[in-house]
Amino acid sequence: MMWLQYAIFQRAIIGCIVTGLLMGLISTFVVRMRLTAIGYSMSHSAFAGAALGVALSMNPLITAMVFSAVTALLIGPAADKARLPIDTITSIAFSLNMALAFIFLTLSPQVGLSSEVASIIWGSIVAITNNDLIYLEILFLTTLTLIYLFWKELFAIMFDRRMAEADGINTKPFIYSIIFIIGIVVALSLKLIGGILVYSLLFNPASSTLQFLHDMKKVVILSPIIGMLSCVSGFLMSLIFDVPVGACIALISTLIFAISVALSPKRRRVIV
Amino acid sequence: MRAIELREVSTVYEGERRPAIKDINLTIEVGEIVYVIGPNAAGKTTLLETINGLLPISRGQALVFNMDVQKNGWKIRREIGYVPQDFIAELGEPYTALDVVLMGRFGKIGVINKPTREDKTRAIESMRLLGIEDLANKPIGKLSGGQQQKVMIARALAKEPKILLMDEPFSNLDSESRGRVLEIINCLNKERNVTVMIVTHDLRQILNSSHRIIVMNNGKIIADGDFKSVFNVAKEILPHKFR
Repeated sequence: MMWLQYAIFQRAIIGCIVTGLLMGLISTFVVRMRLTAIGYSMSHSAFAGAALGVALSMNPLITAMVFSAVTALLIGPAADKARLPIDTITSIAFSLNMALAFIFLTLSPQVGLSSEVASIIWGSIVAITNNDLIYLEILFLTTLTLIYLFWKELFAIMFDRRMAEADGINTKPFIYSIIFIIGIVVALSLKLIGGILVYSLLFNPASSTLQFLHDMKKVVILSPIIGMLSCVSGFLMSLIFDVPVGACIALISTLIFAISVALSPKRRRVIV
Repeated sequence: MRAIELREVSTVYEGERRPAIKDINLTIEVGEIVYVIGPNAAGKTTLLETINGLLPISRGQALVFNMDVQKNGWKIRREIGYVPQDFIAELGEPYTALDVVLMGRFGKIGVINKPTREDKTRAIESMRLLGIEDLANKPIGKLSGGQQQKVMIARALAKEPKILLMDEPFSNLDSESRGRVLEIINCLNKERNVTVMIVTHDLRQILNSSHRIIVMNNGKIIADGDFKSVFNVAKEILPHKFR
């Protein structure tokens, strides 16, 4: 544990804990609202933003966040306007952002995929700065506060959006807000896990807890813990075996999911 | 006072050319109980969802308590208890029956406010009315179709609605439960003057009823009155139900 004395690893561990909690928390909404395409779409919009940042000699993380935020803001209203499922619009945004990313990369051929853009794709946890940690912590607290304040509405929407509307809840602002938060969370988590594997944490924690729990409130509490455990143990695994941290986190969280499915008590129908 | 008023209302589903309901004129007074019958795809569910504003109106105007449904949808829906057709929760749903019933009150409680002890008491009371209070902490997905239907009815009742819109509320219920639900509806109607619209395929419910019956076919109201006055039209479009 000697390495824990170094600030770089301390930041990495704190980054793992906060990112894991945050991703686990929002995974509940991603899974329950069936926003399956959101993970790869957001990570690729961040990728396009990072590519633009490099092409314009700007901070790629900032442009990645701007791209994710704008995409996240447009997805909900576009889906409602087109009267198409959110996942369909998200997939369209994915291909658009990939196309933009390639165009931006050709604008800066001297940089290519070997530079900062690559770190956005694969993640680079040791590059996490104190400022990154502050952003992550602020985002975690903001997300937690919003979920606490609007839990009742989100709880009903996650059960059935149409029934929530029938009960007099205006579902649109809540769904748009959740998509926006997911966009920002994905963009901020890119440094840790990278764009390619970030979506493992968008699905696996909540999918794992849903194998065991019948109580939505407990799902929202346990999913962040599983997210955090996946991140921290993934980071430790990457240190031990000297392999990429994002890949280790994805492996661990998938392993937890597989074990949850195997041991799930939810397979039997109880006659009451 | 008018609870519901539809003026020349047509509703067209996205991507469809033919309206699901067409040029509907309908007035329902406060405290009326109205049954809606008709063959499949007659427009019965569309009619209910147009009244509570879940579907956008293509033409005409829908008013609930003299408020335009298209402009005051959220406000109006807080006063309407809605029981959807054939709602079945998935097996692994992480919600208890009580969670689902309590949701019926969320719109009324208002944004940010948390459900109080009184809200929970109301939810449990409505479950008790339907004889399902012992299922309160059971996962909704593990209940039978009939039990889930009772949960959805309890959800609508927990809201303490001024209008009840019920889409096939008896489809999964045994005869004893059907009788119990009808008893509750009649009681709410008499004691609280609740206006009720019930879409049903089950004509046993209306054979001895003195209530108003609307017969729909091809998106239009083709008969409207008591059982005697609509009998011939109903028999013509639903012959198998009268055998």
